[in-house]
Amino acid sequence: MNQSNHPARGPSSEALWWALFSVGGVMAALFVPAIIFVTGFLLPTSDPDTATGHYVRIHGVVSWWPVRIVLVGVLVFSFFHCAHRVRHTLMDLGLRDQEAALKWLCYGAALAGSVATVVMIWRI
Amino acid sequence: MTGPYRPKPKWAWFVQRPGYIRFMIRELTAVFIGAYLIFLLVLLSKLGRGEASFTALLATLHNSFWELLHVAALIAAVWHTITWFNATPQALPVFIGENRAPNVLVAIGMGYGPWIMVSAVILWGVLR
Amino acid sequence: MSLGCHACESLLELEFPMALQNDITLELFRYHPETDAEPRFQAYEVPYRADWVVLDAINWIKDHIDGTVSYRWSCRMGVCGSCGMMVNGEPRLACSAFLREYYPETIRVEPLANFSVERDLVVDMDSFMQKLRSVSPYIIRDDVNDTDQGEYKQSPKQLAQYKQYSMCINCMLCYSACPVAGNEPDFLGPAALALAHRYNKDSRDRGSSHRMGKMMEHEAVWGCTFVGECSKVCPKNVDPAGAIQQAKAAAAQEYFKGFVMPKGAGR
Repeated sequence: MNQSNHPARGPSSEALWWALFSVGGVMAALFVPAIIFVTGFLLPTSDPDTATGHYVRIHGVVSWWPVRIVLVGVLVFSFFHCAHRVRHTLMDLGLRDQEAALKWLCYGAALAGSVATVVMIWRI
Repeated sequence: MTGPYRPKPKWAWFVQRPGYIRFMIRELTAVFIGAYLIFLLVLLSKLGRGEASFTALLATLHNSFWELLHVAALIAAVWHTITWFNATPQALPVFIGENRAPNVLVAIGMGYGPWIMVSAVILWGVLR
Repeated sequence: MSLGCHACESLLELEFPMALQNDITLELFRYHPETDAEPRFQAYEVPYRADWVVLDAINWIKDHIDGTVSYRWSCRMGVCGSCGMMVNGEPRLACSAFLREYYPETIRVEPLANFSVERDLVVDMDSFMQKLRSVSPYIIRDDVNDTDQGEYKQSPKQLAQYKQYSMCINCMLCYSACPVAGNEPDFLGPAALALAHRYNKDSRDRGSSHRMGKMMEHEAVWGCTFVGECSKVCPKNVDPAGAIQQAKAAAAQEYFKGFVMPKGAGR
């Protein structure tokens, strides 16, 4: 019960992950519910004309640079928010010894998601 | 002489108190939100590939299976929002002179208020 | 049983306390390392009085039935922090848990969770004491005034910044409620972190950077996942969970300042 798992001393990079998690938590809290509502209940349609109308509208909105910047911000920070929570939850569920692997997996996935976000939005 | 008794930690600690269960539910919202974000990336990818690709996706989404997934994601996202803003006054206390501003006011001013405004802007941007 | 005469009933209660009493059962966790390989529970019948607390019942057991029961207590009024125990699975101060909250059910009393048990209801506090010591829970400043220079002035507004966190009585109920304190030995825990924050926010203190050095280590403050149960069980409304989130924000600021101003961070 008194064995230290972390002999290294000095400021930890945990501060960075926590900061990303916090900003991501705010981003997700503010933006994600409305975005889910849009993609889940406003956009889907089987009618070709309505679908075209939706494409024109959404393409127009997302083409505007301020919207692109906000979208990138929301997605990137939210990815890191989710990664941090998933990593800590897995550790709380007993995988404490696998911490290093979990950090690579979770933050690596968040980084991949962030890169994909920038690429996808750039291509619109 | 046996020495101090060390109780063995239980793996399923998270079901032992109602507070722990609520905690786990809150943390699990991140799984749903993360999964939704990946879907959103797919949607943005199709948007970038052009009208045909995007409208095909909208048609695929127009069924109860995807609606149900969205309902689940929405419930998780809203629960994240509520638990996040309810916790904000503890993490960011606001003082008016010597006194703490009531938690409710901080939660509304720094959380729910902005949330409503941001959501309104998003919906207006899409619906106008 | 009613005699219809209050004076007679009070007199009878004083002279023959057992005559009018109902009983309540307490199950106490017993462990004597010199004789026991494993802990066990022992049941005791205790007189039920509506104004008694669990501590009164345990004292009555020690005085009348079993003198071998070991436990900590002192002020019996919720200010010393000595009598923390698990009462029906909840971390409580034994002096603040009334028998009438549980009567007529059996009350199960165990030592505080997440600590190793020395004997009966006495836990090994060393890990907590070491964590508390490590955050230097006292005013740190290089320039200490002589007495004739007068006191350090502090306005009510400055006091308000840390007063809530100064109410901690080191009862360790928060450690029992915290899942991370049970699983992660390097986590400093709610009380130690709340007290570190209390001193960091005290206008008379100049020791933030010194405390931050300890708190910014790997799991020290970052182990907290804001479960929030610590604040729920705290008998003094310290809100350690809130203090810890504020401490994380301050530690994160220090971390980023360390990149921008490597030598100048902190006061």
